[in-house]
Amino acid sequence: MVDVEKLKKIARETISRDDVRCLIGWRQGSYGFRAAPHFVGKPEEADQLIFSPLCSHNLATYLTLAEKLPVPRGQEPDTRKVALLVKGCDSRAVVQQLVEQGIRRENVLVIGCPCRGVVDQKKVEAKYPDMGAAVTADWGEKTVIFNLPSGRVEAPREEVLAGKCMTCRYPNPLLADIEAGDAVAVWGSDEYTDVREMEAGDPRQRWLFWEEKFSSCIRCYSCRNVCPMCYCEDCILDRLNPGWVWRSANTSENTAFQLARAFHLAGRCIECGECERVCPVDIPLMKLNRKLTKEVREKFAFEPGTDPESKPLQASYRPDDKADFIL
Amino acid sequence: MSAQFEPNIVAFLCNWCSYAGADLAGTSRTHYPPNLNVIRVMCSGRVNPLFVVNALQQGADGVLVSGCHPGDCHYMEGNFHARRRFTLLRELIEYVGVEPGRFNMSWVSASEGAKWKDVVGEVVVKAKEAGPFKQFRRDKINW
Amino acid sequence: MDIFKLRKDKFADFLASLGGYKLFAPQKVGESIRFAPVTDAGKVELALANTTVPPKSIFFPQTETLYRYALGNTEMHPPAEGEAGVVLGVRPCDARAQVIVDNLFSWDVDDPYYLERRKKIAVVGLACNKPCVNCFCLSVGGDPASTEGLDLLMTELDDAYLLQPLTEKGEKLSQAVAAVAEAAETGDLDEAEKLHRQAREKINRKVETDGIPQKLPGLWDDALWQNTAASCLGCGICTFLCPTCHCFDIQDEVEGIDGRRCRMWDSCMFKEYTLHASGHNPRPTRRERTRNRINHKYNYFVQKFDVIACVGCGRCISFCPVNIDIVEILRQVKEAR
Repeated sequence: MVDVEKLKKIARETISRDDVRCLIGWRQGSYGFRAAPHFVGKPEEADQLIFSPLCSHNLATYLTLAEKLPVPRGQEPDTRKVALLVKGCDSRAVVQQLVEQGIRRENVLVIGCPCRGVVDQKKVEAKYPDMGAAVTADWGEKTVIFNLPSGRVEAPREEVLAGKCMTCRYPNPLLADIEAGDAVAVWGSDEYTDVREMEAGDPRQRWLFWEEKFSSCIRCYSCRNVCPMCYCEDCILDRLNPGWVWRSANTSENTAFQLARAFHLAGRCIECGECERVCPVDIPLMKLNRKLTKEVREKFAFEPGTDPESKPLQASYRPDDKADFIL
Repeated sequence: MSAQFEPNIVAFLCNWCSYAGADLAGTSRTHYPPNLNVIRVMCSGRVNPLFVVNALQQGADGVLVSGCHPGDCHYMEGNFHARRRFTLLRELIEYVGVEPGRFNMSWVSASEGAKWKDVVGEVVVKAKEAGPFKQFRRDKINW
Repeated sequence: MDIFKLRKDKFADFLASLGGYKLFAPQKVGESIRFAPVTDAGKVELALANTTVPPKSIFFPQTETLYRYALGNTEMHPPAEGEAGVVLGVRPCDARAQVIVDNLFSWDVDDPYYLERRKKIAVVGLACNKPCVNCFCLSVGGDPASTEGLDLLMTELDDAYLLQPLTEKGEKLSQAVAAVAEAAETGDLDEAEKLHRQAREKINRKVETDGIPQKLPGLWDDALWQNTAASCLGCGICTFLCPTCHCFDIQDEVEGIDGRRCRMWDSCMFKEYTLHASGHNPRPTRRERTRNRINHKYNYFVQKFDVIACVGCGRCISFCPVNIDIVEILRQVKEAR
């Protein structure tokens, strides 16, 4: 459990250090059940930090989202650390980014926040509609507490938490320079039931399902931008020459887009669920990405983001990798 | 009687083993189905799995990737990487509804002209069973 | 023009009477509610506040072919001519937005694809009885029952819809429904007026837009842009779901000898939007792009066309993954010194 006042104190102390450039956490959102990423540059700004079931965002994406502008002559690049608040899933992103050398260990200061689950916006908005005023929330014992304008309500966690939280095996950060709270007990297990159901169906039925989803994609690139593991400067999905994926939005190109992204995440996706959360047309992206995380686990006994010393999956091989389908 | 469906299969063959093996099948005057469109690559590890997706988009009914046997790669490890990648790709495309049997992979060495004939035969039969690929073919008619 | 009252159980008949037109209305597409061609009247969904993707997608589709060609053949084939159509269930903010966008598509060049659709497709609006929590149309010159850009306005009463024709096109449509509708009575008109008034009161978000277009140029170097853009992901959600956003990219797609030139939505929030062939980018970071977006909507568009290019639909607020709130930004602009 994380004591928010203690967290704010840690944040104030951290941002006061000479070697820390900024601290990224969460603050209350502007309406309803929203939270927003909060960038702290001065100790006073740490007062707005929160840590509640509303903190869905995977802040690790900001480590690689930062734009690297050329440094003017005579100036030194700013090598101070970025301090980052992470939940369990977020910490896996940091670990995987370290494994791939997308970030350097000395540039990050990780503040670990053990997490008991974050809400699914759509579920909560359906349960408590028309919430204009900003609502604060907290965790109860297997419940989530919301402080609505009409009063405090408590909802069973399975009714309001995101799907990924119900199967979460890593609620505690796997990497932390500072622990902001005591570890929480693991309460989820993952049998990949959703993936297995899809696998058991007929290929024609599967295509009908995915065709409907892929053809509704509007190619906003939110899934790619929010993903902490999608940080190539020259992303294959933006390239026009060669045109791996054309920009037109139709079933063919959208399918190629989604398959390309899913494949590039094979062995790298840390199942934070952000892609599915941000998709404006509700494509079940986790159902797609989790197929490959399941295959990677079963076929190669590998889980990205769990071991900073591991080698990236697609950059390595074992001479005894099994592939029975090969003629 | 309508003409039987003849699948269009794109085959990525590694220069040192599979392409040479296919060549041997040819010079030995082996008869095998003519449905393959061969693209020679230097190594099976050079084949980007997204080539498979792109080939299907452009009208292929099946895709074959063929390389040297594990341990015999001309570049030491290219085919090991290919093995991992295509294990995952195959799972992914079948998951979204591409019929099993459209995508195939094989290890054919430079001396295996006979095996090449069998591989092509099998791949064409599977593609015929799967039928014309329609799922995410580019829809030029509605352009 | 006469105002009609259409009982809800006759709504399907109304849709059937529009059989001669290509009909678009909100329906479930994939997992979300969007405007799409109607094949089954039972699937039309009018109950919710607003669709995810605005009806701009009817007049300005996400992707459309400009012309087709074949390599080696100099003939160009423009797409087939469109048919007369009706888009139904458009909220007044989105209809107003379309009028705002008309300015752009008939400015220096008359965009034939867009204008042809505007000419051929009638817009039937649905007044908002229940604005959503992020709506602020009243602050930017709109209204939950605004008639701007509409050919016919529907208001939902308890057991009926009021149909108010506003233009010749609208008149023609309501004649089509005359057989199944009745003339509206004073009581119905009063009830509608009451619903419109209540809707106005329900809009909580308020923005003081006076003076914002004049203030923005002076805030060019203000820290507010960096602070806002810090959490921005640079995705295209705000622009793609915005009913007044209208930028597009043009691409040639060639496969074998067949080709087409097509256009698709583009976003000023993407890095490549202003990326020059030389590699230089005048808007290199999200700070410049965020600043540009707000300036375009509340400053540049005002200078050119004398109207704020924002209708207060609230979609950018509801769908921004990181809760960047345009109302909050405008408040900061207003308060900045």
